[in-house]
Amino acid sequence: MNRKKGDKGFESPRPYKLTHQVVCINNINFQRKSVVGYVELTIFPTVANLNRIKLNSKQCRIYRVRVNDLEAAFIYNDPTLEVCHHESKQRNLNYFSNAYAAAVSAVDPDAGNGELCIKVPSELWKHVDELKVLKVHINFSLDQPKGGLHFVVPNMEGSMAERGAHVFSCGYQNSTRFWFPCVDSYSELCTWKLEYTVDAAMVAVSNGDLVETVYTHDMRKKTFHYMLTIPTAASNISLAIGPFEILVDPYMHEVTHFCLPQLLPLLKHTTSYLHEVFEFYEEILTCRYPYSCFKTVFIDEAYVEVAAYASMSIFSTNLLHSAMIIDETPLTRRCLAQALAQQFFGCFISRMSWSDEWVLKGISGYIYGLWMKKTFGVNEYRHWIKQELDQIVAYELKTGGVLLHPIFGGGKEKDNPASHLHFSIKHPHTLSWEYYTMFQCKAHLVMRLIENRISMEFMLQVFNKLLSLASTASSQKFQSHMWSQMLVSTSGFLKSISNVSGKDIQPLIKQWVDQSGVVKFYGSFAFNRKRNVLELEIKQDYTSPGTQKYVGPLKVTVQELDGSFNHTLQIEENSLKHDIPCHSKSRRNKKKKIPLMNGEEVDMDLSAMDADSPLLWIRIDPDMSVLRKVEFEQSDFMWQYQLRYERDVVAQEEAILALEKFPTPASRLALTDILEQEQCFYRVRMLACFCLAKIANSMVSTWTGPPAMKSLFTRMFCCKTCPNIVKTNNFMNFQSYFLQKTMPVAMALLRDVHNLCPKEVLMFILDLIKYNDNRKNKFSDNYYRAELIDALANSVTPAVSVNNEVRTLDNLNPDVRLILEEITRFLNMEKLLPSYRHTITVSCLKAIRVLQKNGHVPSDPALFKSYAEYGHFVDVRIAALEAVVDYTKVDRSYEELQWLLTMVQNDPVPYIRHKILDMLTKNPPFTKNMESPLCNEALVDQLWKLMNSGTSHDWRLRCGAVDLYFTLFGLSRPSCLPLPELGLVLNLKEKKAVLNPTIIPESVANNQEPVNSTNNHGQSVGFQNTFSNSQEEEEIDMDTVHDSQAFIYHHLNMLERPSTPGKEQSSGEMNMHPVLAAPLSVFTKESNSSKHSDHHHHHHHEHKKKKKKHKHKHKHKHKHDNKEKEKDPFAFSNSPASARSIRSPSLSD
Amino acid sequence: GSKHATTPADNYYLARRRTLQVVVSSLLTEAGFESAEKAAVETLTEMLQSYISEIGRSAKSYCEHTARTQPTLSDIVVTLVEMGFNVETLPAYAKRSQRMVITAPPVTNQPVTPKALTAGQNKPHPSHIPGHFPEFPDPHTYIKTPTYREPVSDYQVLREKAASQRRDVERALTRFMAKTGETQSLFKDDVSTFPLIAARPFTVPYLTALLPSELEMQQMEETDSSEQDDQTDTENLPLHMSTDDSGPEKENASVLQQNSSLSGSRNGEENVIDNPYLRPVKKPKIRRKK
Repeated sequence: MNRKKGDKGFESPRPYKLTHQVVCINNINFQRKSVVGYVELTIFPTVANLNRIKLNSKQCRIYRVRVNDLEAAFIYNDPTLEVCHHESKQRNLNYFSNAYAAAVSAVDPDAGNGELCIKVPSELWKHVDELKVLKVHINFSLDQPKGGLHFVVPNMEGSMAERGAHVFSCGYQNSTRFWFPCVDSYSELCTWKLEYTVDAAMVAVSNGDLVETVYTHDMRKKTFHYMLTIPTAASNISLAIGPFEILVDPYMHEVTHFCLPQLLPLLKHTTSYLHEVFEFYEEILTCRYPYSCFKTVFIDEAYVEVAAYASMSIFSTNLLHSAMIIDETPLTRRCLAQALAQQFFGCFISRMSWSDEWVLKGISGYIYGLWMKKTFGVNEYRHWIKQELDQIVAYELKTGGVLLHPIFGGGKEKDNPASHLHFSIKHPHTLSWEYYTMFQCKAHLVMRLIENRISMEFMLQVFNKLLSLASTASSQKFQSHMWSQMLVSTSGFLKSISNVSGKDIQPLIKQWVDQSGVVKFYGSFAFNRKRNVLELEIKQDYTSPGTQKYVGPLKVTVQELDGSFNHTLQIEENSLKHDIPCHSKSRRNKKKKIPLMNGEEVDMDLSAMDADSPLLWIRIDPDMSVLRKVEFEQSDFMWQYQLRYERDVVAQEEAILALEKFPTPASRLALTDILEQEQCFYRVRMLACFCLAKIANSMVSTWTGPPAMKSLFTRMFCCKTCPNIVKTNNFMNFQSYFLQKTMPVAMALLRDVHNLCPKEVLMFILDLIKYNDNRKNKFSDNYYRAELIDALANSVTPAVSVNNEVRTLDNLNPDVRLILEEITRFLNMEKLLPSYRHTITVSCLKAIRVLQKNGHVPSDPALFKSYAEYGHFVDVRIAALEAVVDYTKVDRSYEELQWLLTMVQNDPVPYIRHKILDMLTKNPPFTKNMESPLCNEALVDQLWKLMNSGTSHDWRLRCGAVDLYFTLFGLSRPSCLPLPELGLVLNLKEKKAVLNPTIIPESVANNQEPVNSTNNHGQSVGFQNTFSNSQEEEEIDMDTVHDSQAFIYHHLNMLERPSTPGKEQSSGEMNMHPVLAAPLSVFTKESNSSKHSDHHHHHHHEHKKKKKKHKHKHKHKHKHDNKEKEKDPFAFSNSPASARSIRSPSLSD
Repeated sequence: GSKHATTPADNYYLARRRTLQVVVSSLLTEAGFESAEKAAVETLTEMLQSYISEIGRSAKSYCEHTARTQPTLSDIVVTLVEMGFNVETLPAYAKRSQRMVITAPPVTNQPVTPKALTAGQNKPHPSHIPGHFPEFPDPHTYIKTPTYREPVSDYQVLREKAASQRRDVERALTRFMAKTGETQSLFKDDVSTFPLIAARPFTVPYLTALLPSELEMQQMEETDSSEQDDQTDTENLPLHMSTDDSGPEKENASVLQQNSSLSGSRNGEENVIDNPYLRPVKKPKIRRKK
């Protein structure tokens, strides 16, 4: 495996270079959900003895392959279809994850592999030896694809166009192989010709320029011809076909927007902002948008909200909104900006290998951040950075770390950089979705750290350099070797940085990119009055999982009476204490303004401070230039000063969170003041609401006056003359709108001495609902009303239960009766006047679940199950499913768990399937250390099947199943399974048989996993470094070994040794093997290291091979019809070329 | 009809009718008739009456057409001409020798129609309104009637009322819907106290979820009709390529035209949007290789 190090440029893992590909889809049948077409790849061999061409293809049925018009034999082998063969009783996740990583490796285009292996016809060998061009023509079809292409066909009357039926490509990372054969790698660039013949009422949107649209002869269909002259990776090819409404952007005519019928007014409004994003990126990158056109398509049942492909982006239709909607507007704009950032970095500039992904995600995320800063302001930007930082820190501490730039050294499994995880990080397809999300988050945060180090100006220069290099390369039409300039690598990126800035950022990269983990600081201080010195102590926790030790500079800001001072401390190995000299003497009653960091001078009431100390507050790493968590101790009055006077929103938010621990009248006052202060950032004020509620609850016995926030709300939003009635809605001022929405939700969290929500608060919220009047408002109040329902739900406290009586109407709490009355009315009104995105239904469903959970209403999943059905709006379904998941957990219902799992397998919407697994993982019915009646063998089998073979069409879903399996059963053998039957296992390393460790009780208790054979098996066939291996022993499941060995052997025979058709194997079998145990790339150069074990194997089991081979044969289904069979020439003649092959067999004993 | 007509109005009409009968009789005598049946005379009288009425009605129209209230001679002339009467023969006919002179009907006052409702005196015309204009209507039709109950203008009560009214309507409506359709319930033992209209899946769920309801649209128009940049909403609508059997080619071309003209007017210059998705679809080539 060549890991491209240094600045040598790109070395292709393939023995050929792809220069051009034609994709032609002649027929799309919406009724049958099928696709028929062909591809033609133009490739140039780079080695003389190229005799096999490996391509990626999943799920496609391949009819015929021709190379330069000569029929070619091929094998279709997808080991990821079923990861572990045989009804192995192992069932442990370690085993699975290793096998899965091996399977993905075996078809990984970045390792030169693929599912489809085409034999170059012998007639062409001479041609190949002269390195002349080959044209590989493949006819294929797709029937009811389960992944890669998604069909949406509403079940109603009318033609497909009238029904709004559409289809689009989707998937996670490289998923193009799901819908046409290609080299599905981000590093193999070529130019494209794309043709789609569709119903005349439909539009086909794809990458590149639409050259022309031509009717077919019967005039009932038309063909869209696209040309993409900028070299592009297959993984960035996409397609959307449907009866779209077309909108040419009024500001940029080369930009076209598409949406489903009837939504055009929304599309107009939603995209009216896009040109500003274009302008922003082009300006900061000083580079024009690289493609000659751009298309946005908004489709239903989206896989992800935003998917960026070359010159087009596919969005969820649910991002569309009208001018009346406030809350969705910034979210949608963010999505648009994200998609556009990825056009530059991700689509136009691609990556060399998976380990360089962080650069692309980092840069696109970083420039998206710059756009955020410009559009929503510095406050919003800093708030966002803080949020992202908190997220990544929490995730890394939970899981043990996110590694941006994994390097997989030469085959030593001990080097596995992610042994703390239950999945392999070597491939994007084995990653947990949550990990990948966090990976992206970390990537852009690290880019920001680099910016801090080298300045934004240099940063943008680097980007510009990458882009201009790429655009020069892209215009080299006939020099495909230049195209690798369009690929970014970690080393290339770092070299650019050092060239441009002249700075050495290696330590930074080493800390955050080459290793995982975040920093955990604990800070405290003492003021030494004698020396007028601040004695700061900063400790680190670097032993917990997910942490690392930080050594280097750390900024500390100290606000003193005489001003704010920055100090840069040097964090070193052994020094915990840092003395910081203070600039001001403590003083008392001196009326003088206090200068702040931003130069502002303010009056402060200093009476709360410690008379001896000049310190107002202290902040550690205020600029967030370390990926860290800081727990800092300072007294309550310091937090209060920080909240009131520090101008940085992050500092204010930190102060608010800290004040939760200080429920005093002074904290209350500080929070109330912030709430009232209109200049204060609205998110800070919203946060203050919740903190105030918590403080009020802690102070409940001493609290004076009306419930917290009530008088404030009255003053701000109610009528002057009648304070119990809220003003008619006017949401022109968004800050107060957000505050108006949030305050009732926070107030509902208030509790009295009996731990009940005060009656006064409940009545207040009910009055808000009653008097809500939106008639004069320019904006919709659906989010506001939804939050009022959330507030009602928040006010619910557990029912006082008498002897577990059955919940009936008669014993319903009168307050709950009022709440139910409102929820019923709201939910019913939604049927008549539905709100935008059904926000109100969503809130009602959540509230009903809260009432059930608290014992006011009988717990029953029936209502939620009906709302979870296909055909409801996706937000509603998710809310309903969340309730069912919660019910499953609380009531330990096997029936509902089965219902959910059935939906995971059968639901038409991939996002829903993914989301159910995600919610089950986050709110699991039981966990590995828990006794539960749900945990039984059948469930283990079911989940195992789900991840082993049931989810092979969707990388994300399979990883989701793995996550759930891990949460429920852990890495080792699920405890509910009976002990394996096989008592004796063979340890190949130590060459001896040992007792299966699972039988030994102690080892089970010690959580020692019985590791299955795949490790050795994998090695023996030439996979490397794919396995985490913390175990000393490796046991072999003999059956697996036999079968796989035999199988590989069988294939070797077929490929390398000439055989006569029909002699040893039947011809059909050779063409199509739907399920193969092992990859074809059997003998790679790297296999040397593992030969030892190979021989070992053979020595032991040679005699069994033949038997196994025959047995295996029967397993294969004959997919080909006889006609095809006869046409296919697959006589692999015994040619010198094959003998010369570097892949010549060394094993054929 | 009843014979005992005694009202002044009846007398008035009867007198005139009798005169007309005399006229008809004398004309008949003039024409050489010696006797006539009563029914024939009655019919001719009826015809004459309609003829004269028509002249009057028509003349009045002509007069009003020229914004006058009093018909002039020319109005009558035009009327007669219009009715096909040769006006020039009239003076000669009037002066014929054998004409008979008939006494004018007895002078009786035009009967006064009794007023159903008279309340107060009609207001006289102010000085600037000419006397020939119609009189003011009865005062009660335009003079406000004072009431003695104070109208509700208290903000609090109004809000209260609006809120409870809306709530009542909503509750009644949803209860009705729940009664007439399928429902779900939170309590197994009671389905009527909190009836929930059953959730029904949509065939195209995103439409109801995303499109503003008509009510909201209306509301939006009311609240900011001024701020909306009109025309934009309809501009691109016809772009949706519908392919009815009627020559899609032509349709596309017209779409293109429309679009370019619209954008041209916006930019104030004639630049046609050249977007590949707006270009007409090409006809297939006749020549086929295979």
